[in-house]
Amino acid sequence: PRSSVLLASDGLSLELNGLLNGRSGGDLVPLVERSLTVHRGSTDLKQWYQRRVRGKVPLQKAPRFYPTEDCKVPLKNRKTVKQTKLRSSITPGTVVILLAGAHRGKRAICLKQLPSGLLLVTGPYKINGVPLRRVDQAYVIATSTKVELPALPAIGDEIFKRKGKPTKNEKEMFVDSAGDSGYKISAEKIALQKEVDAAVVPAVKAVDMLQSYLRSRFTLTKGQYPHEMQF
Amino acid sequence: AISLARIGSSGINAEYGEVGRLCYIRLGDNAGKTCVIVDLVDQKRLLVDGPHCGLARQVIRLKNLAITDLKVKIARGCKTNVVRAAVTKEDIANKFLQTSLSKKAESKKAKAALGDFDRFKLRVAKTAHNRKIRSAVRKLKKSS
Repeated sequence: PRSSVLLASDGLSLELNGLLNGRSGGDLVPLVERSLTVHRGSTDLKQWYQRRVRGKVPLQKAPRFYPTEDCKVPLKNRKTVKQTKLRSSITPGTVVILLAGAHRGKRAICLKQLPSGLLLVTGPYKINGVPLRRVDQAYVIATSTKVELPALPAIGDEIFKRKGKPTKNEKEMFVDSAGDSGYKISAEKIALQKEVDAAVVPAVKAVDMLQSYLRSRFTLTKGQYPHEMQF
Repeated sequence: AISLARIGSSGINAEYGEVGRLCYIRLGDNAGKTCVIVDLVDQKRLLVDGPHCGLARQVIRLKNLAITDLKVKIARGCKTNVVRAAVTKEDIANKFLQTSLSKKAESKKAKAALGDFDRFKLRVAKTAHNRKIRSAVRKLKKSS
């Protein structure tokens, strides 16, 4: 009887084990039903069996021997990674003020949110020198100005990932690497920038004064307080 | 009419805080509303009422007010419905909208509501406008 019964390796199995000691297979169903009602809240045997078959609950025979001490089992990690919640004021085509970095104070257009959660932003490069760049939404003020963006090429996080410096082997450890010229922009990136600019710049020029607006920088003058200003 | 402390600009055209005078509330929760002076409490406080603006009858400090040159004929300490009748009769609310004070307040409100792009456009327009003026002035200076 025990070998012909499918038992889970959770607390349910121990009880069933105990219940089955000395009983035949014929008594199984009502016993399992009673245990299920206690542990699972329902007596749908088919559901219970299918859950085990589908692998949602491990399908194991109860072990003969148990460890003498109760070992702590870490809790199952049920975390699901969600996409970073984007501020409702930031949508594709929103003009955005960059607050930090080399391009601080410049106004750029937010193209979309990348899978990493960061914003993809561009000047466009032709207008104010802000390239295709990733930026965190915390370092950005979203304005209420929105640009109608046409269809853009698909861009992901991969092009922005920097390659690490190659590790030196033993022989070259103390050799001066004068050949290291630092970071160079890939040809792929330049081509992509041209493609994006070709799409976005006409959309910018279609709006009166928007191009000169994007060329200008954001500044605060006397009497201007960001918490009192509308953007 | 009981004249209260002189408020507003000094000189012959000084406005007086008297019963029936329309005031504009500059500061506080009720900023932007107008009210009519109904009575005085002391040198610094007035009893005002603004049934046309939904302002409850209350005591308000002089420093929170700006006196206008509009006046309504009411008796001292009269009830709210009397004030309301007088205000609608003389159409004080619309007369106030014609004043420069009201227009300035409106423009201030509009300016505060400008977005970043609008502020940029305003700055560009102002620069162009001032440039025209300066070039005209320069021309006049040269010719004279």
